[in-house]
Amino acid sequence: MSRTYENISKPYEYVHEPPLVKGDHDFKSITALVTDINLRPTPRGWYMAFGVANLLLFLLLFSIAYLIWQGTGIWGLNTPVNWGWAIINFVWWVGIGHAGTLISAILFLFRQDWRTAINRFAEAMTIFAVMCAGVFPAIHVGRIWVIYWVFPIPNQMGVWPNFNSPLLWDVFAVSTYFTVSLLFWYVGLVPDLATIRDRIKSRIGKVLYGTFSLGWRGSNRHWWTYEKAYMILAGLATPLVLSVHTIVSFDFAVSVIPGWHTTIFPPYFVAGAIFSGFAMVLSLMIICRKVYKLEDIMTVDHMEKMNMILLVTGMMVGFAYAMEFFMAWYSGVEYEKAIFMLRAAGPYAWAYWIMISCNVLSPQVFWVKRFRRNIALTFVISIIVNIGMWFERFVITVSSLSTDFLPSSWGYYSPTMWDIMTYIGTFGLFFTFFLLFLRFLPMVAVAELKNVMPQADPHNYDDSGEYVPPKADVPEPKREPV
Amino acid sequence: METSNTDRKLYGVLAEAGNPKELLNIAMTVKNSGYRIYDTYSPFPIHGMDQAMNLKKSKLGWIVLGHGLTGFFGALSLIYFTMAVDYPLNIGGKTLLNFPAWIPVTFELTILLSAFGAVFGMFFLNGLPRLNHPLFSIDNFSRATDDGFFICIESEDPQFEKEKVKKLFADAGVSNIEEVYDD
Amino acid sequence: MSEDLKQNSYWKSLNELAHNEEYKKFNEREFPEGASELTDQVSRRSFLRVMGASIALAGFASCRRPVQKIIPYTEMPENLVQGVPLHYATAKPFQDSLSGLLVENTDGRPTKIEGNESHPENRGRTNIYDQAEILNLYDPDRSRSVRRNGESVSGDDFIAFARDHFSDTGRRIAVISEASSSPTLGRLKEQMAARFPNSSWVTYEAFDEESQLEGTRLAFGRRLRTVNHYDRADVVLSLDSDFINPHEHKNNVANARQVTGRREVRSTEDTLSRIYVVENKFTNTGSYADNRLRLKASEIGPFTYALAAHLSGSVEGLEAFSGLSNDFSGHEWIPLLAGDLLANRGMSIVTAGNQQPAPVHAAAAAINLALGNAGSAVTWHEVPHIEDNPQRDAFRELARQLDNGTIDTVILAGTNPVFTAPADLDFGNALGRADTVIHLGDYRDETAASADWHINRAHFLEAWGDGYSYTGTRSVIQPQIQPLFSGWSGLELFNVIISGQWADGYSLVRETWNEFYPDDFEDRWRRILHDGIDTGGHFPEINTDLSAGFADVISSLPDMSRIEGFEIAIRPDATVFDGRYANNSWLQELPDPMTKITWDNVALMSPATARQLGIPVTRGLNENEAPVVRIEAGGRAIEIAAWVQPGHADNSISLSVGYGRNGIGRIADGVGVDTYPLRTTDAGYFRSADISVTGRNYEIACVQDHDSLEGREMIREATMEGYRENPDFASFESFHGYEVPGLAEGLELGTDNPVTLFTPQHFPEHQPQWGMAIDLNSCFGCGVCTIACQAENNIPVVGKREVGRRRMMHWIRTDRYYEGDEDNPRAMHQPIPCMHCDHAPCEEVCPVAATTQSDDGLNQMTYNRCIGTRYCANNCPYKVRRFNFFNYSKEFLTTGDDPEIIQMAMNPDVTVRFRGVMEKCTYCVQRINRVKSQAKIETGSPKPVDGAMKTACQQACPANAIHFGDLTDSDSNISRLKQNERDYVLLKELSTRPRTSYLGKLRNPNPELG
Repeated sequence: MSRTYENISKPYEYVHEPPLVKGDHDFKSITALVTDINLRPTPRGWYMAFGVANLLLFLLLFSIAYLIWQGTGIWGLNTPVNWGWAIINFVWWVGIGHAGTLISAILFLFRQDWRTAINRFAEAMTIFAVMCAGVFPAIHVGRIWVIYWVFPIPNQMGVWPNFNSPLLWDVFAVSTYFTVSLLFWYVGLVPDLATIRDRIKSRIGKVLYGTFSLGWRGSNRHWWTYEKAYMILAGLATPLVLSVHTIVSFDFAVSVIPGWHTTIFPPYFVAGAIFSGFAMVLSLMIICRKVYKLEDIMTVDHMEKMNMILLVTGMMVGFAYAMEFFMAWYSGVEYEKAIFMLRAAGPYAWAYWIMISCNVLSPQVFWVKRFRRNIALTFVISIIVNIGMWFERFVITVSSLSTDFLPSSWGYYSPTMWDIMTYIGTFGLFFTFFLLFLRFLPMVAVAELKNVMPQADPHNYDDSGEYVPPKADVPEPKREPV
Repeated sequence: METSNTDRKLYGVLAEAGNPKELLNIAMTVKNSGYRIYDTYSPFPIHGMDQAMNLKKSKLGWIVLGHGLTGFFGALSLIYFTMAVDYPLNIGGKTLLNFPAWIPVTFELTILLSAFGAVFGMFFLNGLPRLNHPLFSIDNFSRATDDGFFICIESEDPQFEKEKVKKLFADAGVSNIEEVYDD
Repeated sequence: MSEDLKQNSYWKSLNELAHNEEYKKFNEREFPEGASELTDQVSRRSFLRVMGASIALAGFASCRRPVQKIIPYTEMPENLVQGVPLHYATAKPFQDSLSGLLVENTDGRPTKIEGNESHPENRGRTNIYDQAEILNLYDPDRSRSVRRNGESVSGDDFIAFARDHFSDTGRRIAVISEASSSPTLGRLKEQMAARFPNSSWVTYEAFDEESQLEGTRLAFGRRLRTVNHYDRADVVLSLDSDFINPHEHKNNVANARQVTGRREVRSTEDTLSRIYVVENKFTNTGSYADNRLRLKASEIGPFTYALAAHLSGSVEGLEAFSGLSNDFSGHEWIPLLAGDLLANRGMSIVTAGNQQPAPVHAAAAAINLALGNAGSAVTWHEVPHIEDNPQRDAFRELARQLDNGTIDTVILAGTNPVFTAPADLDFGNALGRADTVIHLGDYRDETAASADWHINRAHFLEAWGDGYSYTGTRSVIQPQIQPLFSGWSGLELFNVIISGQWADGYSLVRETWNEFYPDDFEDRWRRILHDGIDTGGHFPEINTDLSAGFADVISSLPDMSRIEGFEIAIRPDATVFDGRYANNSWLQELPDPMTKITWDNVALMSPATARQLGIPVTRGLNENEAPVVRIEAGGRAIEIAAWVQPGHADNSISLSVGYGRNGIGRIADGVGVDTYPLRTTDAGYFRSADISVTGRNYEIACVQDHDSLEGREMIREATMEGYRENPDFASFESFHGYEVPGLAEGLELGTDNPVTLFTPQHFPEHQPQWGMAIDLNSCFGCGVCTIACQAENNIPVVGKREVGRRRMMHWIRTDRYYEGDEDNPRAMHQPIPCMHCDHAPCEEVCPVAATTQSDDGLNQMTYNRCIGTRYCANNCPYKVRRFNFFNYSKEFLTTGDDPEIIQMAMNPDVTVRFRGVMEKCTYCVQRINRVKSQAKIETGSPKPVDGAMKTACQQACPANAIHFGDLTDSDSNISRLKQNERDYVLLKELSTRPRTSYLGKLRNPNPELG
């Protein structure tokens, strides 16, 4: 245990990397830099953004209301293709929801201290993304008013849910994932809420932050259990995050439909999820660091690291695409062979090639360091990747269904405006919550950040108690013009 | 504060250290002078403080394990009861004890319960939530969540004597020595 | 958006119901005409009348809120148990033939039509029209009252008018009657002639058998009905005759039963007859044939002559054609056909289609006679109700008289000539010249609009009648319910006209049958009411010889020559016939058996012709639009969507009639294009025409977007030789060249299925276990199974737009695949119900266990548990599951102001499904349970005797292609079929273990034609 403790204490000893915080900051300035955002009066820009988000949220609610009123038929679904945009969006949002917990948990276990700059932020994104995802399975059913039947609740029919069904696994996986992510996020928030509690002037603010910080007072006896708990949570969340998208992929992999029924799906889906998740974090981070002047904390070095992950995971999904074709050919199953031929050259070839170019080709630019550190380019690629990942889900879901076993039942699927409005609406849901988060909660884990500052380490003080900054083993790279 | 000290119960004596290193040292000194009931406060966990304060290994692990097992066996028995005992159905010709299909839900519920154990167990062990605390009456203490490093020896400590403690702090060279009262 | 807002109208203008004033008035009357007049006989029928009336009243007494009236059993009707339907024999008149039916009567309302097992022709089988009649009966758009100049009046008003008007017996009256075989009508016809010396009577049908009758007149000098006995024929040559389809031949059910029966194969010892088809359109008969030759309709005449000429060298009796030579004399088919026909003298049939001119039929008759088929495979009969003079000429003559104004009163009984008459007659105007026009019809149709008096006709399930089947079996048509709209039958109308008095059909029919049964009438009458048929009567067979001057007759005829350039061939429509079923939504939504198009008629053309016109031949999955072409003929033009039909004759365009109606009803109005304007007296069936592409597109709702089998295993077929060489050609191994993966290991473990990772859960000890087998060698794709299923299982109609979005609800569909080159492919039909897999992929994925396996092997759907994730439908490899994307049933059952009427058509034993739930074929579980409980009552075990349980599709199928039964009964029909080497299941490698299996298709092509 104490070994772990040691390691966390001296990152720079074995991770040769530039300091995580640029500029000369002490604890106070860091506190100010982050929490002043919450203490300052609300900027007008925020109100405008929030207004737009609310409009989109209303669009979502309206679409759902009309859906419930009329029936699933307002969507473009048909008899071969019984799942359309709803499921695509679900998988897409869940995928995005993976970066947060991954960054918090896995990078935590791997001692990647650079995560502290972005984990709070990514976790928030995760939670809101999973909320958006959760909307779809709930509304896509024919009889929304009895959706609760998927939970094992004793009922007058005496029937229980079917635990053989991947959809039911989904229910448990996604809800567990949401709950655990929420707890993880909150646990991390408590010390920072305390910080704001102690700095905020307004009475109401004191009461609210005071309540939610649970009376945290930075006791080291508390920190002791706290770190233990955090470690355990990270340990739990890591297999969880991997399991969730695995189980989402089971929705397809467990079925018999050609193009779905394949064992590569779990790893392939997880890689894709991380891929899109990081892309989304980048898109949001690049905006926020600029708007909220957090360049010192969310540095270009962070972005470079994340771009590397994009490159790696991009290659992984590329490999998966190739593998699918190989397996289809190698298995010798005519229906498998046919479906992949149809994907590349059939009625949905256009979607397939969008997917390939966005997910496999576009990240290749990150082989070049200069591009990795280019903020504008990173932003563009991150958007492209998210588009590509949406199309990946489209290709998987729709093309397999539309041309499966019996040629007589082949049919084409195209969405209606209601599919599209519902999808756009979920962005309203997402950004409404995200903006509230930016406004009222510290978007960087202040306590953790301080923790990884050299000043935090007693070893960086001489016997007279004077601070002796550690010398970076590698020269700090030139700052790109931001 | 001077006025009514006599009629108020003393909680402890608080002192502020300049930086993590100093706090670590003073904590060590206090421990070595035989004090038991005291605590240090800092905006982030200070490394080495567990040795410095000689903190016991936390029981949290056991709590989590307990919850995890509850989740695991709870899930298994739930599925077994619903699928095989209470309302057995022939679903796709699959056997009633279709264990492979039970893995995902069992796994998820194990994780969920464990997470509850970790989080609420932690708060329980830390005696949180506790919205009010004598230390909060010290204005300066608010910096404990910003950039302040504090140590407080509490009056419950068997060998607590106000003046002795103040002297100890003064000798150790920590500043802002204050008395903290329950109120 | 707008389209989505109109979601609640599920076919165009369904809910835009015209609230017409007359109908409101009709409702204001406390009792509808006649509903209260209960006749005196205390019998089961009087009970039915009470029930029928009360249910009808429930509908009519209020417009908005239905009043439910209950009639208590003051005296318990004999053998009636509440909830247990009774079956009554009756018969369905169709033109001048009749099919014997058994009607399921639930609590006093007919709910399902079945064939009458003891009827010598259909033997319990039916066609799509028979099945769909239920919906016609309950069609809320039917004409509901007698009208004078469009104003609703009472029947008594008409009686008063008739008594006065027809008191002048010198009137020049013209009766235009639909073809009818009713002896009672015949009797009234004679009375008409006797009472009104200046009256004339013409039988008019838009599509009749006149050319066939005229053919026999040319050949034998008398108009005789030709009856082909396909069960006795080893070689059949069809010259443009789609004889197994209801819209092409009145005797289709018997034909289908016989031809498929003759070709039923259970072992390699059995034999197939050989069917040659020469036609322009790709018909079901063509797809069922062993060899098919596509010729333009206008080329079939010359082809027939050439064949006759060739045969004249070998057999006596064809001298008329000897020496004749034309374009086809050298055709490769001629010697081969001749050879086959000569080799099977007395065992062959040459038959020609109704759209071919008389000489072709004459030649066919002569050939049959010369080949000695007469009396064996082909017989000719004298039919009492067929007039001696050509009725087409008579009708033309009548039109001329009308024009000259030499007729003052016209009575149109059940016909709609204003819509269907040849365009050049301009019949609408001609009719206007008569002083008084009286029209009897089901709908306020085109003719009713131009009539002074319209009498709403009673449906045959509502009124007494009688008639002869195609070969002359006599039946009484007994009503199943009191007329819903107090309509009159034709008999009642003519009786009023003749006598000026009202007499109900019952007494009129009895009067006629008194003559048939001079002694112990009551007993025999009761017997025929019970049996539904009089086995005694059938048309006398005529042994005749060619008329002396046959050769001269033939040579005197203008010699036939093909039409150069484009020809159009106009046929009745497969689903709406001549338009009489246009307002039947079941039939409108039934896919055309070959094109699979619903809710529209199109111009069919071959791929080559399409290319020539610049019309794209292949359709992408995402293309619902078809280019519109302009067809001009005889100075009239129509614009209609073009559809590429592989295997169609080049330069020939096939059209079907009956669409493009308006003012008929919610269903018929505005659907499709009226093609009658292209028909004229001189060219009723095919003629040359000009085709041009308009550049516009039109959306077509086709239920099958991909026509190629892609070389997949769904349909497995072999030639008879191939079958004898390799009897299990249909097995997985023979088809794929390797055995099912995992089967070898499975066999080691003692199961005959591929190994699984788990021990399956089965109920082998439970009996019975149900299974189905579909013989692809019998199925010719008529689609009656779909309609029967729809009628039995309360399947709603969803309308064109929803079908266009591929949301059709049919529980059993018939897939149609083409194989071979696009110009002359073979077509194959495959009915697809639920496979009821033992290891059903759909069941495993349902999160709420709404679909499960029953103890007797059914894949059950629990509607009230379903939450509608549609995962099951995705995971069904056969795509047989149907989802209620909208509240289809509610839309269907709340049509109009008095939804109670359409609701009466529903089967009370079957749940009506709500929006958002999945549904699919249940193997008619409601019938299974009835049969099981019946068996339990009788034998104490729930195991019914073999054949006791029939699914709706099986019962209706004229080809006997669908077999169903108990698999645990080792010598049941189904068990034997499952043992047959031709038996195979779809997608065996998925190890779903379907309960529905197929028997491989067999063909018997002429080896020299391949």
